[in-house]
Formats: sequence, C-alpha cells, structure tokens
Amino acid sequence: MDKLRKYATELLQKGEVAAVIGYQQISEKRTKPIIAKTAEDCTKLVFNEYCLNNLAVYLTKARVKELRRMNGTVLKLAITAKPCDVHSVIALIQENQLKREDVHIISFNCAGVVKDFGMEFDGETLATKCIPCETHKPLYSDAIFGEEKETPKVSDEVLAKIDAIEKMNAGERFEYFKTEFDKCIKCYACRAACPLCYCQRCITDKTIPRWVESSAHSRGNFSWNVVRAFHLSGRCIGCGECERACPMDIPLSLLNRKMVIEAKEAYSYVSGRNLETPTLVGSFDVKDSDELFM
Amino acid sequence: MEEKIISKEDLLNLCKDVIGNGHTLITPGKTEYAVVKDTSEIVLDTTAKPTKASYKTFVFPKAEPVIYYKRGKNDVQLLDVDVKQKKTVILGAKPCDANSFNILRHLFNWDYKDEFYNVREKQFIVIGLMCKFSDEFCFCTSIGSSPVSDKGADIFLVPVDENNYTLKVVTEKGGVFIKDYEKYLKAGDEAKTKKVTGEVKLPEVAFDSKQVHEWLGTNFENPKWDGVGDLCLSCAQCAFVCPVCHCFDIVDEDYNYTEGRRMKNWDGCQFGHFTLHASGHNPRDIQGKRYRQRINHKFKYYVDKFGEILCTGCGRCSRGCAVSIDIKEIVSNCKD
Amino acid sequence: MDNIYKPYLAEIAEIIDETPDTRTFKLKLKDPEVAKNFNFKAGQFAEYSVFGEGESTFCIASSPTRTDFLECSFKVYGKVTQALNRLNQGDTIGFRGPYGNHFPLEELKGKNVVFIAGGIGLAPVRCVIDNVLDWRNDYKDITIIYGARSVGDIVYKQEIAEWKARSDIKTVVTVDPGGETNGWDGEVGFVPTIVEKLAPSAENTFAVICGPPVMIKFTMPVLEKLGFKEENIFTTLENRMKCGLGKCGRCNIGNVYVCKDGPVFNYTQMKELPQEF
Repeated sequence: MDKLRKYATELLQKGEVAAVIGYQQISEKRTKPIIAKTAEDCTKLVFNEYCLNNLAVYLTKARVKELRRMNGTVLKLAITAKPCDVHSVIALIQENQLKREDVHIISFNCAGVVKDFGMEFDGETLATKCIPCETHKPLYSDAIFGEEKETPKVSDEVLAKIDAIEKMNAGERFEYFKTEFDKCIKCYACRAACPLCYCQRCITDKTIPRWVESSAHSRGNFSWNVVRAFHLSGRCIGCGECERACPMDIPLSLLNRKMVIEAKEAYSYVSGRNLETPTLVGSFDVKDSDELFM
Repeated sequence: MEEKIISKEDLLNLCKDVIGNGHTLITPGKTEYAVVKDTSEIVLDTTAKPTKASYKTFVFPKAEPVIYYKRGKNDVQLLDVDVKQKKTVILGAKPCDANSFNILRHLFNWDYKDEFYNVREKQFIVIGLMCKFSDEFCFCTSIGSSPVSDKGADIFLVPVDENNYTLKVVTEKGGVFIKDYEKYLKAGDEAKTKKVTGEVKLPEVAFDSKQVHEWLGTNFENPKWDGVGDLCLSCAQCAFVCPVCHCFDIVDEDYNYTEGRRMKNWDGCQFGHFTLHASGHNPRDIQGKRYRQRINHKFKYYVDKFGEILCTGCGRCSRGCAVSIDIKEIVSNCKD
Repeated sequence: MDNIYKPYLAEIAEIIDETPDTRTFKLKLKDPEVAKNFNFKAGQFAEYSVFGEGESTFCIASSPTRTDFLECSFKVYGKVTQALNRLNQGDTIGFRGPYGNHFPLEELKGKNVVFIAGGIGLAPVRCVIDNVLDWRNDYKDITIIYGARSVGDIVYKQEIAEWKARSDIKTVVTVDPGGETNGWDGEVGFVPTIVEKLAPSAENTFAVICGPPVMIKFTMPVLEKLGFKEENIFTTLENRMKCGLGKCGRCNIGNVYVCKDGPVFNYTQMKELPQEF
C-alpha cells in the first residue's frame, strides 16, 4: 500500500497527472472511489479484494476531465485499475473516447475481488466475473503493484445458468427474462455504473421520438434492458458493475457473459484487449460471419 | 388494549388466516418486500439488513396509469382509472420503514388529494417489528426514530423470548384489525418487553437534525456542495429505494394508433434532465447542485412545509449506492 | 374515485399564428357544465395536453373577465409544443387547471400599473393587462412597454393595435436594434433601455414584468433606479412544472413549489429563493 501511495503522490507532485482516481477504505470490508488531488488524498489510496468499483467510469465524465486543465496546460489522469478495469480503459481508447497518452494506468496483480461489500473474501464469495478471468495481470499499464496470488477455484455458476437458459425454448426464455426484467425500477444505476455507457444523451432520454418507454412496466423494462444489452454487444468487457449496482438483483451478468461469448464465437473478438484492434461494431470485414443475423 | 403475547406459531397461523381471508400479505424478502402466498415463505429476522428496496411501491407504484385515452377523428375519449386495493398487511416492517406513510401522507394530501395514494394506503395494516440490525449506514436515531420505535406502525411486535412476540396495538386501525385474530393472543408482560427493547443497541446519533436544518437555511452557496457532487453518477438508485422519496413524472404512452394511457412514473432529482427546460436551460446542471437539492429537500424544505424530515434513517440509499456516497456523512458535515 | 390528474377536454376553436414559431389557441371547454362553472384569476396556469405526446405548462393568456374563450400561447420548442403545433382547428386537447396563485389585482386597485414584457413573456402579462383594462376605472395610469427581437417576433399584434388605439393607456412597442423593418414606427432599443428612457414614475405604482431572464436581469436595476420598491414588482416564474399540484417535486425551489406558492412572485420573494431557476 505504501508503495502505491508514494507512487501516486510523486505523480501529483511532479505535475505529471492532475488527479489520481483511486480507491479509499471506508470500513473493514468496503471501499469507495476517491479522486485524489493532493498528497493528503493519496495517503488514503488502497488496493485490496474490496476494490469493486470500475473507476474507468470517471474517465469520460466532464467534471473529471475538467480537472486535467491546470495552469494553462493539460495534464494526464492517473487511474488505479484492476486488470479487468484496464479492459474498460482499452475499450474506451478503441472507441476514441480517450487517447492512451491521456491516462496513466496504475494496475495490480489481481487474484479476484469479493462479490459484494461486507462479505469475508473466500472461495464462496468470489465475484462471479472473476471466475472465468484470464487476465490476472493487466494487458496495458504504466505501473504494476502487488504480489501475484492464487485465485480461489470456484464452479462457474454463470456459465451453468447460461447453458440452462440456452436449453429453454423461445417461450420459456422470454418468460424467464420477462420475470427478471419485471423487477426493474428504471433507476438506470446499471447505465450510470457502466464505463461504456458514456453517451451524453442516452437513447432513453430522447423524447422526439420516444424510442424506449420510460415507464417501469413489463414492456418498458424489457425494452430498456434489451436495448442496453444490444448497445453493449461486442463492447462489454464483463466488469459486472451493472449487476452490482442494480438494487433489484437482476442477473445482468447472464446477458453480459452471453454477449462476450457470442462476440468471441462469431467474430473471434474480445473487447478491450488490444489497442491496435478496431472495435467489432465499428469495423467490417467481408469475411465476417452472417450467422448472428440470418 | 394492553400488550398481548402471540407465539411464533400462532403468528404464522394468523398469517394463514390473513391469506385465507383473501387479504394480501407482504413481508421482507431477499431484495424487497414481497407478497407472500404461503406462510413457509415468511422469514422474520430482527437482525436482518433492511431490504434493498422499500415497500413504497405498494402505495405509490413505480409506474401506474392515471387516465386512459382514445383518440377519435378530432375528439378524444377519456377513461378513468379505478384503483382497487385489497386489505393488505405488511408484516415485519422495520421501524424505519413503518413511519414512511406518516411522512408521505402530507405531500399526497397537500390541498389536492391524490386518491391513487390514499385509496391504497387506507387498506394497509403495518405490523412493525423491532430491529436489532445496525451498520455504518443506519442513522434512524439521528432523525428522531429508533430501532424500537412503533411510530407509524398499527401493530408492533417485539420478540420477547425464543417462542413469543409481544404484540402491541398502536393505532385504532390496528385495534380493529386484530379483533378478528384475538383467539391467538394471550396476556402480555410489559416489564419483559421493556427489558428486551432496553437491551437493543441504539445506533450512535450522527448529527443534530435541528442544527442541520438551521445550517441549511444559511449555506446554500457554501463551497462544500461543489465536492459533494464529484463521485455521483446521476442515477436514481437512492431516490427509488428510499421509503419516502416521491418525485414523479407524467408521460403519455400510446399502445396503438389511437389508444394509450397517461403514466405516473417514479422520477429522481439526481437525473441530469430533471430540471432541464425545453429551451435548453438547466438550473441544476451540475451534480453538486442536484445533490444540494436532495439534502435541502429532505432536511429543510419538507420540514418547513410539513413538519417532518423526509428521511427515515434506513441508510438504503448509501448502502446501495454504487459509489458508496453516504448521506449520513454528508448531512453530518452540514455544519461550520 | 376523484382523479386530480384527469384533464378536462377542450376544443381548439381558433388558431392564431403569432410568429413563425409561436401560436395562440382559443379554446372552449367541451363539457358545458364544466365550462359554465369554470373561473380563474389572472396569473394562473394550466397543463395543456396532446393525448399521446404529453402535457405542457402555459399560463392562461386570456383575461378571466372575458369568458368566450380560454387562450394560451406557446413557443414551439419540444415534444409537446411541436405536437400542439401540428393540431388543427376543431381538434381536442386536454386542459388541467387552473393552478397556482395569481396577481394581486385587488390590492393594486387605485394604483398606477406599468407592464413590461419581452418576447413570448407577453402571454402571461397580457392576461393581466386585459383584466386591468376591463376594470379600467379601478386603476390609475397604465403603461405597457413591450419588446421583441424583431418586428416578425412581435406577438399579439392585434391586441397591441387595440391597446395603442386607446387614449387612456400608454403603449410602447420596441424591437431590438437591427430588428426594425422599413416603416417601423415604434421604438428601437432593448427593453431595459426603453424603460429607462420612458422613466415611468414609481410613486404609487406597481410593475408587472415577464420575459427572458436576460431582459429581467437588466431591467431590474433600471426599475430600482427609478425608485420602484421590490415588493411592488411582480413577475411570473415559468419554471419547469409537471403536475401543477405540488406533488411531483419538479418545480420545488427552496421552501417553495412554483406551481402552488407561485408562479406569481414579487421581487422580495424572488430574492429569498435560492437562485436556481
């Protein structure tokens, strides 16, 4: 922890970055984001199994970007990012929301995080997104901290559930998702927590015409959740923040994981892995498979 | 009516009867309060965390039609909405939730009476249950309540020993309701109840709400508000899980070329577009201003207008916030 | 079940296109019982709806003393106003109201009144002007100062002509510099400048002002310089309102709900509000 704090403080004091977006501990089993602008702020920085937030969500926020402008120059932003969060940063760069040189990535050797705050970290409480994870080291970074550790081995319940749903017929599948989406209260916490939902004006905010109903009834909920899934197809990196943010426990990780699987199977594409690769939906190759559309 | 005792077994029998009589029974579930079809689904745990969402959706639905319309050539037909509510019993309401109706009723009856709310609320019997949970987000004691408060409940339960609850009738409505189930009640022991409630650890008082109210009146332009909005991502989780937040939107929805309904949907003051004018002007364009409104509305404006704090201290908003924004912390800082 | 959200039905009896982007509707309430018993006071507003598009808040622009029609004027901006703009004579809209407080015309009796309006802001003021003119003998000197960006943006051209034709009131119309056309015989200059030029007396006088925020911002110091007391200057706050009933929370500013404690406020009350409108 001390190494991280010293490193962050130096970055600020040398004038290399305008702020360090990191985590601070607020209780034994809970952390919260902090936008560290001073040396004192940096003394609070931590990294552990309770660092659940995907801080990349702040990289596209106007008020955070404004911080970069200091005394006539434009500085970088530093972000402490788990290897999975780094995928979000890469995806943002792939989508031209950021430049690689705008962000200073401080990452970690990660052995997984806890499912939710307040839980003791062990095999049972490993976050579902960590189960299939293959990037315990960040793919891109400017600094890496922490020792390498073993990730607890846990059965992949999300994959099992996806398989179960695939075995359902269309009617059963529709009923399953309708029941889940009926719980939705349209708080848009899923959208707010997602680093890739950065549209200044979301499709649901458009009223002329109203593409997606704002009401939280079956039809309105189904439209919203499905539209969001479609807008993230081939882009979602599976950080699971949407599911964690949802107050109604809607199993959004099922959709996220399924989208990742589809993109990989149909187009050999995984989002947020390679700065040089164009985005899936932003590029076209004559050899692209038609299967998903036919 | 003096305090009575009801055994845990008989409480379940009472629930069976309630369901058998055709009434709706609601108890705290995993995420939210849910309708119970079978008594085997009932779990009453005083040490449980408050549910992620409150039960306000039962009296103030997340989305409901207020009128139906049918467009003709150049005429329109309006069809009324008739709200029907069966007698509903909420069993196991935490004290922080139980008082929510007392707080909401003021607004929904301020000069214009919202019958969509009143017709429903009238049919509710709130059976409160003493609470033995407390975490870093709870602050019921700071807003004038406590984990053993029966304010807002029609009937209040205290688990007086392993097999029994004390049952106290708090309101006339509660008294009328319990008459049908008197066979399950035995004589109570007030001393025993007092001992149990006396042993409950009260959350530490985090702030003086009167002092906060005064500070808010003179610190609208205080630079503290600038920082408060930094982390907020402008969703409405806090407003929607809150037992007493009540802002809403009215929108029209067509279901075909001629017919549709006018919907009354939950809305949140933290959304960027909440105060957006058609001209493009937005008086609350940055998050700090919107969060300032939230705190002011809850701890000052509602108090000035209706004499109640628009907050129950349940801490759901903070516990559920994706970026852990803590309302208790922010209100505690509302001082010089 | 009493339904406070249910609108009355109103028929569009006449449409007047005031400017390329502003319209006035002359409405008649369809239910004769409702129409007979309907009354309101100058300054109140209503929620007008196009079923299928939504509701929008405008003041009632006609005077309560003239019961032939209920009038509203609006500028075409968003979803509902665009829909209203597509309607024709004979179409039906929803009307929910009257809501809000009103101008204290009883207290203003025996005084001079100065009306200052800009652009579409003349709509809520016109209601008061016509009301005061219908009770002409109860008021002393009446001055109307109205400004628009250009000649083409002037609303209520017919009413202004009627006011100008009266010898018992003073009517001055101005357009912004550059907005005049050949043969324009009115003033040229921003509203605050013209108010300063005309220098209406503040003694025993009330001012009613409504217009774009920038106009109000620059007119206020002029009125102060002329000696107008803050509690004698009235405005109507067209904040974003939704339900009109003091429930949905959208128009809440400070301890005030604009739809219930307003939309008419005097300047002392305006200054007490947190400045977020």
